[in-house]
Amino acid sequence: MLEFVLLTLLKILGFVLVFCIMLAAVLTWTERKMSAVIQDRIGPNRASILGIRAFGLFHPIADMLKSFVKEDFVPAGANRTLFFLAPAIALVPPLCAFAVVPFGPGDLVISNLDSGMLFVFAILGFGIYGTTLGGWASANNFAMLGSLRGAAQMISYEVSMGLNLVGIFLVFGSVSLTQIVAGQGELLWGWLPRWGIVVQPFGFLLFLAAAMAENKRAPFDLPEGESEIIGYFVEYSAMGFATFMLSEFVEVIVIACIAATLFFGGWQIPWVDPAGTAGGWITVAQVAFFAAKVLFLCWFQMLIRWTVPRFRYDQVMSLGWKVLLPLSLVNILATAVVLALIA
Amino acid sequence: MVKVKVVERPPADLVVQSWVPELWKGMKVTGRHFFRNVLTGKGIVTSQYPEARRPYPPRYRGKHRLMRREDGSVRCVACFMCSTACPADCIRIVAGERGDENEKYPVVFEVDFIKCVFCGMCEEACPCDAIRLDSGVHRVPAYTRADELSGKEDLLSLGTLSVSRQGGEFK
Amino acid sequence: MPTLTIDGREITVEPGTRIIEAADRLGIDIPRFCYHPGLPVAGNCRMCLVDTNKSPKPVAACWDPCQDGHVVTTNSPRVLEARRAVLEYILLHHPVDCPICDQAGECDLQDLYFAHDHRPSRHFFTKNHKAKQRALGPQIVYDAERCINCTRCIRVCDEIAKAPQLVQVQRGERTYIDVFPGTQLDHPYSMCTADVCPVGALTTRDFRFKCRAWLTHGIDTVCGECSRGCAIRADVYRNEVQRLVPRHDPEVNGYWACDAGRLAYHRFEAGRLEAARVAGAPAPYAQAVREAAEALPGAATGGVAVVLTPWMTCEDAAAVVAMVRSAAPGAVFAVGGAAAGQADSVLVKADKNPNHAGLRRVLEAAGVVLVPVDEVVARAPSLAALVVLGTEHAQADALAAALRQAPLSIAVAALDGPLAGAARIAFPGLSPYETDGTWVNEAGLSRRVRQALVPPAEARGYGTWASDLADRMGRPLAGGDAAAGKGA
Repeated sequence: MLEFVLLTLLKILGFVLVFCIMLAAVLTWTERKMSAVIQDRIGPNRASILGIRAFGLFHPIADMLKSFVKEDFVPAGANRTLFFLAPAIALVPPLCAFAVVPFGPGDLVISNLDSGMLFVFAILGFGIYGTTLGGWASANNFAMLGSLRGAAQMISYEVSMGLNLVGIFLVFGSVSLTQIVAGQGELLWGWLPRWGIVVQPFGFLLFLAAAMAENKRAPFDLPEGESEIIGYFVEYSAMGFATFMLSEFVEVIVIACIAATLFFGGWQIPWVDPAGTAGGWITVAQVAFFAAKVLFLCWFQMLIRWTVPRFRYDQVMSLGWKVLLPLSLVNILATAVVLALIA
Repeated sequence: MVKVKVVERPPADLVVQSWVPELWKGMKVTGRHFFRNVLTGKGIVTSQYPEARRPYPPRYRGKHRLMRREDGSVRCVACFMCSTACPADCIRIVAGERGDENEKYPVVFEVDFIKCVFCGMCEEACPCDAIRLDSGVHRVPAYTRADELSGKEDLLSLGTLSVSRQGGEFK
Repeated sequence: MPTLTIDGREITVEPGTRIIEAADRLGIDIPRFCYHPGLPVAGNCRMCLVDTNKSPKPVAACWDPCQDGHVVTTNSPRVLEARRAVLEYILLHHPVDCPICDQAGECDLQDLYFAHDHRPSRHFFTKNHKAKQRALGPQIVYDAERCINCTRCIRVCDEIAKAPQLVQVQRGERTYIDVFPGTQLDHPYSMCTADVCPVGALTTRDFRFKCRAWLTHGIDTVCGECSRGCAIRADVYRNEVQRLVPRHDPEVNGYWACDAGRLAYHRFEAGRLEAARVAGAPAPYAQAVREAAEALPGAATGGVAVVLTPWMTCEDAAAVVAMVRSAAPGAVFAVGGAAAGQADSVLVKADKNPNHAGLRRVLEAAGVVLVPVDEVVARAPSLAALVVLGTEHAQADALAAALRQAPLSIAVAALDGPLAGAARIAFPGLSPYETDGTWVNEAGLSRRVRQALVPPAEARGYGTWASDLADRMGRPLAGGDAAAGKGA
């Protein structure tokens, strides 16, 4: 029992606290740097330690230090308890979602739940509270409007995000992420890895769109539309604001992890050790491959974020309800029909 | 009648509305910039300002300077042409007797850089090639209004000999 | 009465009139250097050449008298070519140092060059060098290189000042103007030579290098230095008088003004009383008015004396008299003023105050019986209140002593001095260049004085001061805005 607890703690430490949180910190740098190079600029490169600039990689540290020492301002009329709680509520659920993500073969998952993906949905649904409470507790009309938008947007896309993964569940016959990854180790016609993106390409596009909308990032960053309503965290400063930002980047990683797991074969290396029993360097390579997939998907999301301009709010809502939702249903129907015909 | 040219809206068919091909087009552009700049850095136009300064163009108008005569004294004859031409009224001159054949010189020649718009009208108006803005020295902001005034000595310190002949005499 | 045609327009003039005068009357411009309407004709510059039907060659319009049947052309090609040639000749040795020259901007040579010649010099030899910056007298500096030898200045000395001090020396291109050996140009009208100089040869030491002519704006006003009341123009730049130049007023001063009057503005450049004073301490104007308005009616029974100044305008005088009479009906008035000085036969009068005549008229109309200033001074200890306006009083020291003796003493003064220092309540007044109103000169001619400068923030004219005081006492002066606003 003690061994199990220690191992689990080690996995949490290694995967969630080291990999994910560090990656989230680096992503703040990546975001700025990527926008810069895409726009033919240089980007942040001034923070230095002992004169070493390291391409501005110290900026996340500087940002963090700045967030810690800045005044934590609470507006008059704010609900102080909820005001302080909201950033934490926003950050914790996405971190919990990592529990069921298998980052390697075998036991290299924090908690191998059978309900896997359902757990992720349930936990991510909590994220709405952070947004809503943050805006409401600020006692600011603009923050309130932002959180209203956030809540409506996240609820809307929650629906289609759940539905467009049903296709994957149908194909692999499970909601457990571990089993879905195992299922992706098989080969179609003897040569093509049966990755989610191969069997559910349409589902992947729908999932990506819904997930990015769920994450409230550009082009779906309506709850924080700087030019219109400023956003649900307009009253936050210092660490509260930093936590909201961090939660956003953690969600980027969550989406990347889930997309990698469901559509890109998780830790699977095509044609190599699909059962995940080889051990040794192969396992290390598989974990590294999973990390590479996550990094690629993070990069991909960033690229989208710096390519597409923002939607109008009515466009976001009609896209969610009138396009993604029916298409998800069509996807389920088509998948079911095809599966029935094959069977 | 004003001629109105009606421009067709770009077609918004199903392919466009599906977003995927359009998104792909956009990402090709951003991706191209991304890879080119990450791999070669050739597209980046930012200059690292305090360390790397862009050279001012040759016709850059910087701080004024007062040119000198062969004997090192100020070329200016205090004719007030510059202060008359100045649209910002930033030049203050007090004229005085030189006591030699050149007769007149500025006892006080002050440029108020808080008012100056660096238009170069003074330079153009000057009949003696005495005031120039080609110093290439950027105006340094000051903390007080008084510090924004640049006096004759300051302006002369940037000055050099002018090649043009004063008085335009035939020799 | 000869009738002639100039450029197709007919005019009838008295016999002896010169063509240039007839043309001036018609508004036809004939360029000229040596001709000046206030001076005898010399006819030496040849700039005013015109074609007539009575002579084979162009004639000088300033010299030729009008004849009956004269047909004059001022713009024929021959005339234009003649002007151009004359200008080229005049400019032959001119140094063209316009940037240094004070005349630039109001220079006839500049203007006519641009109008009639406007081409580069064909002269390629070394130019003649002559004396520069030669002081001809205490006020005048002469630059022989710029001089075109029109002799206007010589004629001013000879004919206007009756002081023949200038003379032409040398001949031909070496000619220049000079004073006779051992003398200098020091008659009281010497600065008029610089006025009439069409180029920058003669400049006044006062205005030399001070300001460029085009930067100033001129305000037509009247000189107050004597009861002649010469018409002058105050040239102002940045709210400072840069110089005073005479205006043409045929009934008063012709084209001239004396040096003393033109330098008088320096008196008001420093030593101004900037703010009101109550009991020696600076106070806001409104507070000083309040104190004076509260004290003055109370002093009415004990005897009030007011010393007026002949420098105040007629309008100011009427307002002051009305105010004082309504506050203290039994008040006695005296008129002070600067002491009489020297007069001359040209312009300068012995009375060194500008508005004695006007003040007399206003006081007569108001039925005021004046007492001498000496009597006011003598009665000062028994007075309840003494008001002294202005600082230009010959008995300033006696008045200052009287102010100290009176229980309530009020002074209105543009300049800080013994009077402002002696009064319990001192109000800052206006200089003549900040005043608007009417002066009447010794000949009984009323002339408008115009405000040329913006006064110090707290300073008020006598009339405004009287009106403010009257308003404060609850007895607004009749007429004007106050009556219109309150009577309705």
